[in-house]
Amino acid sequence: MERHDAIVIGAGLNGLVAAAYLARAGLSVLVLDRASAPGGIAAEHEIAPGYRLPRFALGSGGLPPRIAAGLDLPRHGLRFIRAEGGVTCFQDGSYHANYRDGVVHRREIARFSRRDADAFTRYRRDMLRAARGLAPLLAGPARNPAKGLFGGLRARLSLADSIAAIAPGDLRDMIRLWTLPASDFLDAYFESDAVKAHLAAAAMMGSTLGPCTPASASRLVLPWLSESGDASGGAPETLMPFGGPAALVDALTSVILASGGRLRMEAEVTDIRIGDRKVQGVVLANGEEIAAGAVLSGLDVKRSFLSLFQWKDLPEGLVERVGRVRMKGVAAKVNIALDATPGFPGLPEGCPSLGGGLRLAGPIPAMERAWADWRERMPPRDPLVEVLIPSLLDPSLAPQGGQVLSALVQYVPEALHEGPWSPERRDALGDLVMARLAGVSPGIERHVVALEVLLPNDVENEIGLTGGDYAYGETTLDQMFANRPFPGMGGAETPLRNFYLCSPSAHPGPLVMGGAGANAASTLLGRLGKAVRT
Amino acid sequence: MTPDTAHPNESQDAEIDLGNEQAAVDPALFEEMPPEPPFTRTVHTTPLHLVTSAESRTNRWTDWNGYTVPEVLTDLGDEYRALRGTAALADHSPLVKYRIFGRDALAFMQRLVTRDLAALEVDTAVHVIFCEGSGLVLGDGLLFRLGDDEYRLVTEETHLAWMMESAQGFRVGIADVTATLALLSLQGPLSAACLNEAGVANMDGLAPLAARWVDIAGMPVYVSRTGASGDLGYELWADAEDAPHLWRHLMDKGAPHGLRPAGFALRELARLEAGFPRGGKDYLSAFAAVASGDASTPFELWRSPPVAFGKTVFNGGRALRALASAPPRRRLVALVADGLEPVSLSSVLSGGRMVGSVTTSAFSPARGANIALALVEAVALNGELAVTASRHEGLAFRETVLGARVLPEPAWNSARSLVLPAPLRP
Repeated sequence: MERHDAIVIGAGLNGLVAAAYLARAGLSVLVLDRASAPGGIAAEHEIAPGYRLPRFALGSGGLPPRIAAGLDLPRHGLRFIRAEGGVTCFQDGSYHANYRDGVVHRREIARFSRRDADAFTRYRRDMLRAARGLAPLLAGPARNPAKGLFGGLRARLSLADSIAAIAPGDLRDMIRLWTLPASDFLDAYFESDAVKAHLAAAAMMGSTLGPCTPASASRLVLPWLSESGDASGGAPETLMPFGGPAALVDALTSVILASGGRLRMEAEVTDIRIGDRKVQGVVLANGEEIAAGAVLSGLDVKRSFLSLFQWKDLPEGLVERVGRVRMKGVAAKVNIALDATPGFPGLPEGCPSLGGGLRLAGPIPAMERAWADWRERMPPRDPLVEVLIPSLLDPSLAPQGGQVLSALVQYVPEALHEGPWSPERRDALGDLVMARLAGVSPGIERHVVALEVLLPNDVENEIGLTGGDYAYGETTLDQMFANRPFPGMGGAETPLRNFYLCSPSAHPGPLVMGGAGANAASTLLGRLGKAVRT
Repeated sequence: MTPDTAHPNESQDAEIDLGNEQAAVDPALFEEMPPEPPFTRTVHTTPLHLVTSAESRTNRWTDWNGYTVPEVLTDLGDEYRALRGTAALADHSPLVKYRIFGRDALAFMQRLVTRDLAALEVDTAVHVIFCEGSGLVLGDGLLFRLGDDEYRLVTEETHLAWMMESAQGFRVGIADVTATLALLSLQGPLSAACLNEAGVANMDGLAPLAARWVDIAGMPVYVSRTGASGDLGYELWADAEDAPHLWRHLMDKGAPHGLRPAGFALRELARLEAGFPRGGKDYLSAFAAVASGDASTPFELWRSPPVAFGKTVFNGGRALRALASAPPRRRLVALVADGLEPVSLSSVLSGGRMVGSVTTSAFSPARGANIALALVEAVALNGELAVTASRHEGLAFRETVLGARVLPEPAWNSARSLVLPAPLRP
């Protein structure tokens, strides 16, 4: 029987990262995926001849430098684009853009409020401080936040007396961030509704929380996680792989192959063999068995445990605990191929922030209503739309003159109150998104070459992601850090010997691209006595 | 108009029938200009930009608070000799200026700043510091009392959000008048003589930190005997429209006395010699300090900061009281380095250990040596200090360690700055 040191189930980004680390450490690695090409939600898709974009993922975001450098990805052709961090278009025709340059960004805010332009200094300081507090927690394996997040604080509080500064506010800052709604949090800094909506819209994408829902303030930190504090004082930038997520997948695949690892596509794992109370290998859909020293699952936590194992083989209580992990779809993906570059008359000509993406949003109460609709399982009436036109910065993604437009639409429920999504409802959602796009780019509908709407259910059916939840499990504090995916299993190591979880269902979740894969690899290598920095 | 832009039928369009009440009006005059998006406006100019750029012989510009201002107009050495020997005129309009007015203006200012303002008379100015609740410095600046209920605060950075937050419960108005109020800085031993020549009578009788409304060539100008040069000097506050005329008038009348225009580099050199720290450069506002250790207390930055514990509640008061009793853990000090060549200074060492960082450094012609402002651990200040210095020699980059001493007195601190009446001749 074929045998490998490690088998990775699922050739998604985290599976590939894990496999690359393991292969580089000298293990014989086999990556299995039921799709015909690697990439998972990041896989490239040709929506019309010559128009390429990731079918399910939006396409922005970059690996942290420690992973990109640790896997030597630049030598395998990976380049990142640093773009100005996006622009929000409001329904009243106004817009708010992000600029990296502090002076320019403050002038941008001053268009709405001079006071807020000044308040941004403090907001930026607090976001960067929070991001720096989070960074060590997100960088390595799961740690107990009670020790990390709040414990470090105790040390600083006791120091504070002697160095006569800071601290008493720190505890309050941290509690505010993890408990408050984003709206209340922003009220403490800004007066302009546009400024607040702009910041909230960026934070809420991918979240199951609304901007007025408690604990949603923690999402505000996300754009700042990869930002270094000594930048020029403006808004954080957007990082994108040149060539789209497909380039990231290609570079990772190249690392795996170069290190002697293997990928096998169209190979669906249906079962995991357990013998001698430990995982021993996998069974494919065609009945073939492959033995392995360790199995890493890049599938979400529910699919990993509930569909790959006989439930009776699982330790007591596990099925119950896995069942209780909250995974909810919130977003639909709309992919559009255009035969011309859309114009945005509401934006100033040549606005550099467009490259970092475009958000169509209303004020915070409208976002909250959109969230409330989702809770009531209503079809979206006034959704939050995040648009990326990756071909603006990377023309190789579309034929000459054409553009590909990738959009995430939020909040979209998995099923409607009336039952499953009907074809009419799906078309209506596509029309609604087109109408919103036409609101900022009149005439865009005349240039559509191809359009597809992918609902949370489609994501579940095609990729296997439970609920179509791009976050692989809600990212509220109760399901983060040592509690991710559930208390008692904080990190990649599962209750089953030789079985590891390398998907964002494990720490650090979707907050660090590739982080879960890197953690799983280092956990396994640590078990094998091979210390490798990830 | 060049022939290519002239319209052949222009003469018809231009004819306006004065007898017709329905006179044709160019609608473009009343069209609202769309505001320029921030990213396109790479040059943000002060009201004096046209006159200062006309003086530029170097085409060297710099960014000051988002405004493009001349770095050096002719030659830094010439400008310096004018400043210390005769007089120099510079555009300081990018400084942030707030007008604070209303019934509670005094009470609000008392709340905002650490100094006691009860004795501040109309038409005088004082140096003020303001802190947040934990006693960390947000900024410092010059506060003018313009009237019974009116003040002007002049700072290096913007503080509008903090001022508005602090103004809760006070009946005051706060306006940012940076763009509409031009500031001309006239500094140097002959600055009073230049003003005298420009037609301002009795300027020599103006006491240090005092101010007065005067008429210069028909323009109302508020003149204060202030400035960060460590010498006699005046600052002239004028309407944006008047400012270019005021500049030309002063240059015309002052040139015979040796008055020269100067750029931002000279202002930085002068304030370094005089030992004035600059917000955003020598210290960070507590709201901008991402690493909490980057924020400073007033006791670290100034030798005897104006903190009036006697007055009623003010921002940071309680924390400052606790901070005042403990010796500061580090101090902002003026250093002079050994060695006579201009170099750039970076870290401060003591016994081979890094004990501080240089925040501003330059070659001081007055001392004939490199001087610096540096934040240094207080415990190291009693021992021997050294600074790392670097310079380019051809393609080679040389790094050396030079001995350094703390300057007990600023490198330039002329008695003239306090003399009354101000001298009208050298």
